Amino acid sequence: MIASVAFRKFKALRKTQVALLPFNLVIGPNGSGKTSLIESLLRLRTLAPLPQATARRDKSAPEGPQITFKFEPPHDALTALISCTSEEVCNLLEIHPPEAADWPALRTRLALIRGYVLDHSVMGAPAKREDGASLASDGHNLAAVLARMSTAAPDEFSALTAHLLRIMPEFHSLELVTHPDGRVEFGLRLAEDGLLTAAELSQGMLYLLAILTLAFDPAPPPLLCIEEVDRGIHPRTLREIRDALYRLSYPKSFGLQRAPVQIVATTHSPYLIDQFREHPEEIVISQKHGRAARFERLSDRADLPELLREGSLGDMWFSGILGGVPDEP
Amino acid sequence: MNVAVLSESPADEAALRFLVGAVLGRPPRLVAPGFRARGWPNVAQVLPAVIRHLHFNTDAQLLAVVVDADDSVVHGRSHDTPGYFHPHCRMCQLRAVFRQTNKKIARSPRPHASAGGVLRGVGVAVPAVEGWYLCGRDDSVTESAWVAGQESGYRPYSRAELKLRVYGTDRPSLPLQIECALREIERHRRDTRRLEYDFPGFAALADDVRAAGRNQSEGRLAP
Ligand SMILES: [Zn+2]
Repeated sequence: MIASVAFRKFKALRKTQVALLPFNLVIGPNGSGKTSLIESLLRLRTLAPLPQATARRDKSAPEGPQITFKFEPPHDALTALISCTSEEVCNLLEIHPPEAADWPALRTRLALIRGYVLDHSVMGAPAKREDGASLASDGHNLAAVLARMSTAAPDEFSALTAHLLRIMPEFHSLELVTHPDGRVEFGLRLAEDGLLTAAELSQGMLYLLAILTLAFDPAPPPLLCIEEVDRGIHPRTLREIRDALYRLSYPKSFGLQRAPVQIVATTHSPYLIDQFREHPEEIVISQKHGRAARFERLSDRADLPELLREGSLGDMWFSGILGGVPDEP
Repeated sequence: MNVAVLSESPADEAALRFLVGAVLGRPPRLVAPGFRARGWPNVAQVLPAVIRHLHFNTDAQLLAVVVDADDSVVHGRSHDTPGYFHPHCRMCQLRAVFRQTNKKIARSPRPHASAGGVLRGVGVAVPAVEGWYLCGRDDSVTESAWVAGQESGYRPYSRAELKLRVYGTDRPSLPLQIECALREIERHRRDTRRLEYDFPGFAALADDVRAAGRNQSEGRLAP
């Protein structure tokens, strides 16, 4: 959906741009702008449905922070510009050309962008059944989303369950229990009998279930941002995480007839990065120099094929050859 | 025979188990869990530790390990000359790791769990394991075709093309990858000669597996 994002003086992103593919895994040290990239996309989501601002940029003022978005066809003639009216307030959205006929269609889709910083401490909690329309950004309504999916989209729910049980064969079924107060809770029944309630599940299991819930969403958003997508997941299970995300971004590869979901995910895991050996173009490295940072596509490196002969992507990233590592004193 | 497997993924492991069984003519007893490495050169790095572990802590008799050749030098007949070792050939490298590790183990005073040592089972898939999967389906895909391409500078196919031919997509899910691998190698269940002929990197593994099988049936397992 989004073709590129260019930054000027936005936090650490002083002057850089990144072209976005259907799937993007962003790596780099803390404070290198990974979260700022996601923040910019979520800011666009928030501003897009609002009436266009009447305030205008003061063109005589010194250049302030600005974020420029370009879009994939059929919206490739449109540019969206977020700029700041003051140091603190970056909420001025301009569209070029201002009267673009396709803006109403695009803004409707932009409003559906979702961002996730999943939190295991809330994901296992019982949730109100009616809150299950879409997974909240911290995942606190996971139980409600699963309950809704089980009745409104039973095929997707079965596929999700089958996928989960294949990864965790110690379980026999995913079960939903409704409390007397109407709240719903999920649990996993062990193959050898006995139910583990959501509160008893490990952090990793909750993260895995949340990612699968997004992957099997019957009505996924056009763009999904996920921070620390590998969090809590065993390195041997990361291939399944990659597959779940590819299911969204490359539905055709999974025999699905629906629009691709663009994904921007971040990680610090060399093991997850290893999963992209065949598609290094999907990795974006944020390079930090002092307090400023810029984005680079891994595939832009001319010597990448030679480097790939010498070792795994994850090891090379850790070593510092690829950049995207913290400064050291 | 008790067989351990070191591979890059559950899909490779499933295929490797099947092929070892096809060569032996009976399903092997597998040492759990399957051991994993993260591609080359990580396989060569973890291999000594895996051999040691199997030797001292398990009853494994054979360790089967298969790596993709990628763009490396393909093992040739000249490499089999006694004392010869090609530093850029993955077959030579992995065999050397087995040799050196087993030599160190033999000198170790520790009691050995594995009766008589863990035998070598090394295969190199040229240029990738998907080449093996296409054997018998696509005559243009052979180890010699790849080597000829390396020599002429004109590659007959890329690794990515092989994957596309096997899986129908360049982003197969793990279950699809396992399903396709098992479906393709089913052709070799009763007879692995075609696969051995077209892919000497597989024939080397098959020879190792047979040698281990003979050792076991003759009751002498000393390395
Ligand atoms: Zn060799």
